Amino acid sequence: MWQALHEELEPLGLSIVTVALDLDPEKARTWIDAASPTHPSLVDSHHRIDELLGISNVPMAVWIDEMGTLVRPAEGASIQPSQLAAIEITDEMPPKMQAVLREFKQVPDTAEAYRAAIIDWASRGADSPYAMSPDEVIAASQPRSADHSRAAACFELGIHAEQRGDHEAAIIWWKQAHELFPENWTYKRQAWTIESTPDGADSDKAQEVQEVYGTSWSEAFLATGGANYTVAPNL
Amino acid sequence: MLLTTLDMTAGSFETATGWAAKPEGMCKGDACVPAPGTMSPTGALDVAAVADRLGMALVADEKSGVWALGPESGGRALTTAVVPEIELPDVDGNPFNLSTMHGRKVLLVAWASW
Repeated sequence: MWQALHEELEPLGLSIVTVALDLDPEKARTWIDAASPTHPSLVDSHHRIDELLGISNVPMAVWIDEMGTLVRPAEGASIQPSQLAAIEITDEMPPKMQAVLREFKQVPDTAEAYRAAIIDWASRGADSPYAMSPDEVIAASQPRSADHSRAAACFELGIHAEQRGDHEAAIIWWKQAHELFPENWTYKRQAWTIESTPDGADSDKAQEVQEVYGTSWSEAFLATGGANYTVAPNL
Repeated sequence: MLLTTLDMTAGSFETATGWAAKPEGMCKGDACVPAPGTMSPTGALDVAAVADRLGMALVADEKSGVWALGPESGGRALTTAVVPEIELPDVDGNPFNLSTMHGRKVLLVAWASW
């Protein structure tokens, strides 16, 4: 998906750079190999771009101009309509599945408009109405509280513990990060998938087995509501 | 940001966080925060005091003897529109510095296997 857009826009002077937020880079490899990217394809196993750029879920993106200045802050970056949102809900489905699919239909569908905005910017650069001034970019970035800063520190200490092989300590740090910054889904989904993915398997995206954290992806998604699940781009 | 010591100079703090000690205070991009009394004449930085001024959480992990320093807070996620120094590896571990993309527009997309 991103590779195709990269090929389309590279002649206009725009490159895609993808960054996988994966504590274990090998989990990203399957997807990277399948995409055969010709653009830079990086791995951020410490989720550093969360704090550096304000990433809080995936997919999210920032726009950077030729001078290395942000012209759009971190925001939801879907460029294809959600297939899950398109699924027709039927009475035969389990009630929870129906509830989840109903909420998927509430996630703002910005894919077409966002894709068009990227193409406009690639063509017109600073003249594009979608390219913001530095002050606008800062103001449009998400709020950052003292708790958010503490969450980033706790999440980092969790990674440090996990990499030392102290999984129990990692869980304690990550739980703190989740409580301090509940809107950051990368902290939660990263931790949850470690619990719900069988050894050697591809990363589990459903994350329903959540005895350790006392919740699951679907429960958290339903509690948040589809309308609040992404940082929808204001275009 | 993981710290193995709080015994830092202004230079090592800038490398780690992007915040530079200048006459007007601690600065990143075009943003400066006054921080009097946080630097000794020898260039040593009082990390805990600077963290406090910038709203950076400093959390100790006594079990492993390290600290984690969160990002500045109290405002927006971005303090400046200037992209910070970002060097990340590809999946094979080869480092890539984002600044090598200068001169091109970049759409930096975060995704994950999960």
